[in-house]
Amino acid sequence: MASTVISQGITIEGELTTEDDVVIEGTLRGKLVSKDTVKVETGAVVEADIAASSLSVGGQITGNVTATDRVDLMAGARLIGDVKAARLTIADGASFKGNVDMDV
Amino acid sequence: MADVTVIGQGIFLRGSIRGDGDVEIRGRIEGDVEVAGEVTIGEAALVKADIQARRIVVRGAVAGNLTGEDGVRLEEGARVVGDLRGAGIGIAEGALLHGNVQTGTGGAERGRARQATREARQPARVEPRKTPAVAAKGNSSPRKEKAAEERPAPPPPVVPVLKKGSRAALRKRSR
Repeated sequence: MASTVISQGITIEGELTTEDDVVIEGTLRGKLVSKDTVKVETGAVVEADIAASSLSVGGQITGNVTATDRVDLMAGARLIGDVKAARLTIADGASFKGNVDMDV
Repeated sequence: MADVTVIGQGIFLRGSIRGDGDVEIRGRIEGDVEVAGEVTIGEAALVKADIQARRIVVRGAVAGNLTGEDGVRLEEGARVVGDLRGAGIGIAEGALLHGNVQTGTGGAERGRARQATREARQPARVEPRKTPAVAAKGNSSPRKEKAAEERPAPPPPVVPVLKKGSRAALRKRSR
């Protein structure tokens, strides 16, 4: 189990900083900085800038996303914001509006 | 376990947590927590926040007021600086608390009601004390004036005795 889980029905507002992995199933507003994996699950609502080593998205994100390793947008994901990552995958059925910067 | 929110040990959150589910805090939080479920504060947690929940269990360090509708429980190792309010409050041996405790159902509302009545009573008690004090002051000031008038009178008989040359005259006489 992930070290930090924001479950459904919970809203966190503010700045979240961690060195461990984070799973978001609920709502997060503000800013999230993690040195590990961040998972935004289906049904989650994130209105925040996210920085992580890798990010997988099944839910909704409004905000800029930065990953040192990779960003994966799964089917059903919805991302409005810019992506800066070494690798990016966008699955069929994901919606995305924003710029991509892949350090070319 | 799916609907338990966990704030892990490596987390630092500056902000608020709100919602319906249960929350387990193992990391650092600065802000406030308002949850409908149960809040558990782990041994290594450092919380600087007011917490409102149905039930609160503390094993770590908290600086803030804890309000648990059903209850608040401080387990061994808990360090709390702040007030506790709730229907039932338990403090285990080895827990440290610095603050006020209020037990009973709807503790928060009762507390406010009591404070309100106290505030309402206090001025009523003070007023009757004040009025005699003011009256006494009113009486004392004319007395002082009288005293001031009387005072200059006694010195004159003393002054002539110590008139210039009188001591020398006395000495001469004694010789």
